[in-house]
Formats: sequence, C-alpha cells, structure tokens
Amino acid sequence: MVNNVDLSIDFCGVQFKNPFLLSSSPVSNSAEMVARSFDAGWSGVVFKTLNSDRLPIVHPSPRMHCIDYGSKKEMAVQNVEMISDRSLKHNLTEFLYLKKNYPDHPIIASIMGFFTDEWVYLAKAAEDNGADMLELNFSCPHMCIEGAGHKVGQAFQLLEGFTAAVKEVVSIPVIAKMTPNITDMNEPAMYAKKGGADAISAINTVRGISSVGLDDFVPTPNVFGKGAISGTSGPAVRPIGLNFIASMAQNDQLNLPLSGIGGIETWIDALEYMLLGASTIQVTSGIMHYGYRIVDDMIEGLSDYMIERGVGQISDLVGKALPNLHETEAFDLERQGIAQYDMDKCIGCGQCYIVCQDAAGQAIEWDAESRRPNLIEDKCLSCMLCKFVCPVPDLISHKEMPKEWKRQETAVMDSSLEKDIKYEPFTKEGPNECVI
Amino acid sequence: MSHLDKFKEMRKGLDLVQAIAEADRCLLCHDAPCSRGCPADTKPAEFIRKLRFKNITGAIRTIKENNILGGACGVLCPTSRLCEEKCSAMFKSQNRPAGADRPIQIGEIQRFLVEHSWQRSVRIFEKPEPRSEKIAVVGSGPGGLSCAAELAKEGYQVTIFEGRPQPGGVLRYGVVSYRFDMNFLEHELEDVKALGIKFQCNSPIEGKNAAEKLLQDGFDAVFLAPGLWDAATIKPDGKNIQGLFSSVDYLSALRDGRFEKMEKNIKGKAVAVIGGGSVAMDCIESAVRLGAKDVYLIYRRSYSQMPAEPDERIEALEAGVHFVLLNQPLDYVTAKKDRLKGLKLVRTRLGALDASGRRRPEEIAGSEWTLDADVVIEAIGNKAPDESPEWYPKVDVDGNKLIKADPETGRTSVPGLFAGGDIVRGPALVVQAVQDGKVAARAIKEYLKQ
Repeated sequence: MVNNVDLSIDFCGVQFKNPFLLSSSPVSNSAEMVARSFDAGWSGVVFKTLNSDRLPIVHPSPRMHCIDYGSKKEMAVQNVEMISDRSLKHNLTEFLYLKKNYPDHPIIASIMGFFTDEWVYLAKAAEDNGADMLELNFSCPHMCIEGAGHKVGQAFQLLEGFTAAVKEVVSIPVIAKMTPNITDMNEPAMYAKKGGADAISAINTVRGISSVGLDDFVPTPNVFGKGAISGTSGPAVRPIGLNFIASMAQNDQLNLPLSGIGGIETWIDALEYMLLGASTIQVTSGIMHYGYRIVDDMIEGLSDYMIERGVGQISDLVGKALPNLHETEAFDLERQGIAQYDMDKCIGCGQCYIVCQDAAGQAIEWDAESRRPNLIEDKCLSCMLCKFVCPVPDLISHKEMPKEWKRQETAVMDSSLEKDIKYEPFTKEGPNECVI
Repeated sequence: MSHLDKFKEMRKGLDLVQAIAEADRCLLCHDAPCSRGCPADTKPAEFIRKLRFKNITGAIRTIKENNILGGACGVLCPTSRLCEEKCSAMFKSQNRPAGADRPIQIGEIQRFLVEHSWQRSVRIFEKPEPRSEKIAVVGSGPGGLSCAAELAKEGYQVTIFEGRPQPGGVLRYGVVSYRFDMNFLEHELEDVKALGIKFQCNSPIEGKNAAEKLLQDGFDAVFLAPGLWDAATIKPDGKNIQGLFSSVDYLSALRDGRFEKMEKNIKGKAVAVIGGGSVAMDCIESAVRLGAKDVYLIYRRSYSQMPAEPDERIEALEAGVHFVLLNQPLDYVTAKKDRLKGLKLVRTRLGALDASGRRRPEEIAGSEWTLDADVVIEAIGNKAPDESPEWYPKVDVDGNKLIKADPETGRTSVPGLFAGGDIVRGPALVVQAVQDGKVAARAIKEYLKQ
C-alpha cells in the first residue's frame, strides 16, 4: 500500500478518505454489502434510492441484460432496475448499522419522490437516521409517470421546486443527480442550484436498448415477452459522462462540486473524470462486472500516479484538464502532421492498409512481397485510424510536419467531366452563426 | 469413460464461445498468409472473418464450398506448417513481445465450424440441375471424395468405386480413432453423400485394363485416386510371421471388426514400430494406449531427421515410447510356429547428406543386436501394388509405379483419365489430396466441354 499521498477529499464539507464511492444501485442495496465494500476500500456510499413505502416496488424479471464486444464481456449493461424494494424501516436500520460500525464512511441517502411531501418526508427520515448527505434522484431512466425519475430531470421547474423543498427541511448537503437524456445538462443543473443544491452528480444511465431478440423480436431484457427502453451503463457510456461533467465544470455560473459517474472501472477512468472537474466519483457497472475489489487497484494506481507526478493532494488534480478543453474552433489549423511508422516493429498484418484504403486517404501502398505498408506521406490525413487498428503498440505515432509541407488534395476521378457540372460558386456574405 | 471409449473417440473441439474468442484474436490481415498457406484453398482468412462478424452460416459455407472435407482437414492437417505457419498473430517482428508466439488455432476453428454445421443441420448445397455426363471416381479417400463432390455439386452423375467395404479410404482405414473418430467421419461423409453421389463399395477397379475400361463402359471421364495401400517391408517373405504387421494392416484393424483381436495382440506385449513418419507415430501412440508393456520406435536416423511432425514426436515421447534411434532393422527372430520373438538391429551412424538432404545412416560393423519384441509393426511407407500399372496400361507411371499426372489439371497420358492423391504424389497429406480432387474436377469439366 502506498502511504505518502493524500487521497482524501472534501465534498460539500463532508470528508471522504478517498474519492471512490458506490453509486446508488444494486451494489449499495444493503448494509451487509456496503460494509464489505467499506472493508474493501470504498470511502462512502450513495445508498440505493429509498422508497417511502407508499407504492410497493416489485422488480421485473429478468432485470438486466448486457452488451458484449466480441468476446469481451459487458461493454455495457442494460437495466430495468427500480428504486429499493426494501421497506424504509429496513433501509434506515441499515443506516444506523453502518453509522455505528463505519462512522468515518459517509452515507449519502438517495431519495426519489413523486410530490413535495414525499420528497420532504424521505429527506427528513434519511437525515434523522444518520445520512451525511442526500442525493436527489432526478434521473432514474425508466420511470413513466410525469414528474418522476428522469422526467423530473427534464422538467426544470419541478426539479428546482423539489430541491428547494428538501433543502428547507434538512441541514445536510444535497446533491442533485442528473439524467444524461438531455442535450445540455447545464440548464437543469442551474435550476437545481437555484433550488439550493450543494452539488451535482452525473450521469445516471443513458436511455437505450441493448439488443433485440432475433427469434421473438423482443428487445432485451426480455421480461416475459416485453421489452422497454431502459438504462444503459458501463464503459460504453463513459464518453457521455465525461462530456456532461466537463461541460458543467466549465460553467462558471454553476460553480458547484461535481460527482462523476459513468463507466468507471480503473484509476485512469476515475482520474479522467477528476481531471475534467469531478471531485468524487461513483461506480456501479464496474462492480457489477468485477466486484468491490477493483477499488484496491483504483487506490493503488492513483496513489502511484500521484507519487510519480509529485502530487500530494488529490484535490490538486480536480479540473486539471479543463484549461486545455476548448471549442474545436480554437484549434491551430496551421500546424499539420502525419502518421509515422517504426517499421522494425511491423508484423505485416496489413490492417493499416485496409483502413487507409477504405476509410482514409489511400495513403498506404501495400508491398505484397514483403507484406509491409509503405506510407505516401503527402497523402496522409493524420486521422490515425492506422494506429488504432495496429496490433503493435507504438509502431505508429503522430508527427508534426514543417510549416511549408502541403497535403495532396484528394484526386478527382475524371476531371474531364468538370465541364458538365451544373454549379455556380457560392458568393453571398453572411453571419458566422445559424439564422433562418 | 473407459480407456476404450477414449481410444475410439477424439477429444472435444472448441465450443462456440471459444471459437469466437479465438476468432477475436485474429488480426484480419490484408491478403492473409493463412489463406495462402492452405493447399486446398479453404480460405481460412475468409471463414474466420465471417465468424468474427457473426456470419456463422457464411463461415461454414466458405469452408464447405472450398473444401468438402473441411472437418477432416481441420482435425488432421499439420496446421503449424500450413495455414498457421505464417499467422501474423505470432507477431513475427524484431520486437515480438513475450508470449505472442501463438498463431490463431485455425484448424480448431475450422473443425468447430464444421461440427457446428452438423449440430445446427446447416445445409450448404442446393440440389443442382442434373446433367447427363457420367463420371467414375476410383477410390473414396480424400482425393476421390473431393473430386466427386466438386462435380456432383454441379449436377454431374458421379459414381465412386471403392474396393473396401466402406467409403472413406485413409480417413476410415488409415487413422486412429482418438485422432479422428468414426462419428466425425460419418458426419462428414453425410455431407458428401447429400450431393447425390453414388457409392459402389466392395468394387475394386483392378485387373487388366480395369480403369481404362470404365471409359468404354459409359463413363465420360475417370478420376483415379485409389491411394497407396501396399506396405513396404524389410522382409518380403515374412507374411507368415505371427506378430508382424504392416502399418496398413494394423491401423485398418483398429478401425474395423478386428479391433478386439488386435487389442489382444498388443495388450501387455513388447511392441516395436519401425519408421519415423506420422504413420509410425500413430502406430506407437495407439500401442501405448492399447496397453502395450513396452513400445519401441525403431528409426535408422536421428530424432531431428524424422519426417513426423514435431508435436507428434513430443507426444509419443511423453506417452512413454522408447525411441531407439540410429538403428537399422535387419531381420526378424522367430520361435516355434513362426511366432515373432525379436527384431535384429544394427547400430548406425550418420554420414554424408543423401538425396533427401538428410544425413545418410551408415551401419556400424559388428554392432548387431536383438531387441526382444512380441509384435513388430512396419511403418516404412506405402507403395503402389506391383501389378497396378496393368489396371491402366496406357497411363504413364514412374519408377515407383506412381501415376504421372499434370499437377495443374490431374490429366494423365490418357484423355479422359485423370488422377490425384497418393497414387500420383506418393504418401501425402489429406488436404493435398482434397486439392488434387478439386483441380481434377475443374479439368474434367473443361474436358467434357470439348
């Protein structure tokens, strides 16, 4: 174990001994499970969303499905999981157990109601029984009643109102958990802030369909002949999560602590969320695939990274990548480069040739005799597709070309046809924005 | 599973998940070396790609369209020096990472796909429009089956003449069951039979002019692929010696009604096998499995000169076979009633290179000795029957009585008579015979157009 770096972090005034939390899901369903996760190294938990017992929760069966990539399992998970199906009494008793036995591991109570009184009731109950924070679930992707789950997340007035109602009755910090099933998360996040939210967590699952049965035509999970659009999670959604975290972190008006969620399995995944502005991260799918033990590698991996970089405090890394995150218009298009090949490493599979032919600049010639690619530098688009398919690490890299270097234009197939084209050059002046 | 079941059944192949995982490792090369390495043009790069893209029926179609015995080849091919030899997944570069020396298990994937087709009852070939041309195929081994299938797929009327009671040739009578079992053979034969080929077993095409006569008996073309079934021996007058077998006899017995008798011959006995090729390896390993007390491999050269595949040699050593190298068999020692008692040997040393490019074994004078043995199996090569040229007198043969046929077409010196497989090549691989059958079928179609 690595000792001389500090992974602890302050999140809305609550201290976590590391930034790694269980998110609200099947992995945080009971005190027995959560206790084991704490023993494994997780610093805190967002306990599975409490139910007020007003409506009984019955889970569909089966409740999940997964998407594999080739022989790689669980690139994504699909679930029609509901909020906790345990009674509020049982869940609150579990809080007491955890507070008694793991006093230095914060409990964040996830709650979801349908109307103000229910939100308030659950918030109070959680606080009164030891919850250190609340997470308002505005994002459960398979609620069909207007005003619940992700539907709230898409109805900004409700979101603000429920947040305000909760804030009024509790003194513990309140996080609003956002749905990614929306174009710009800054808008609902600002409403949550107006309602008094102390932090934002994102993302909940992305609405999706994992697969469709080819024999029965039922989308999966197949619940006795019926499928539904439901929540997708796992490594496949990580880019979506990073997008929302980064765009909220860049929003100066929002300026709230962020908890990053979505496809985190390794310390690198977690660190990327943090570099883009999250100060804690939450995990479910990674645990559903590999178990609580993965936190061991997150802690050790992140610690070693910090030692190598001479970073003493994890909080120093939060948002570190944001200054480098721009709109694409900021790119310096004067500077151009190409792919370069270290041919000593080449094994002659020719995949680079195939993708360059069919998806890029036809910049590679194939020597069938020696089974080696030959790059025509002036045609290289520097898309780097060849590098992505190359099975040998570091064989292909990107190199900058001198200022005077010019890329060949894509050749016209038969320029003799040019005389037949029907076309006038576009000459009108206009603004550099979209107007009708 | 009893030890006899183990003897009679081959080990399980890959399942779907394993096959997909293996296909996942494939680099999907451009102009793939595996496809170039298949003597029968089975197109491994194509069927692996199809498997990778979940086009499983298509993958099976690629195999079966190009190699009707794709299952047998998947099991029996020495893939490490064919399709798998230049597999890019071995990362043969100056910077090969440790452990990256495993080719894709192409033979295993091929076997899986063919077995999967039987499990799922995938039918690849539609019934073709029947044609009037009649073709006779002599021999139902890999060469004959391949040629027959190729022609039958296009509606030609094909009759296979087989001398033995059951079809399959070397696939039935020349391999051991734990390598290639009857169940597998029958399934693969079903694929051939489904094409509407007529099988005439117990019908050797022998006797004066027998093969050429087929052309006069209403067949428009003939493909000769009878294989090589006469065994070379160090003692041509030793037929009456009890306990002396040729590899042909021995291996055939393990595949037909004589199994139990042969098992009794071997169990608890000292068995010596003469030879250094793949057939000798099958003989020694099977003798170990049948419970021989001691199994000796007698080879006149040294370990590295053996023609057997490296993995076969290692397996035999691991199985407990005693390799008696650098020893030349001279004669047999018998007791009463011609009962075999021992094998007279003389030690050799390696001298200068011979025509095969291997160092020639030279006998060491005065070093004769006798190895006690109850059973000796001679696995020193198969040859054409001495009288075989009479069956096709106008066909040119070479000094070893092998038929001279054009490798591009299988044409012999007699128009309408084509030949392939071991009777042309000498002892060769199943996959090479398959290719000969395909090549000849193409040439036969051309010939019939004229």
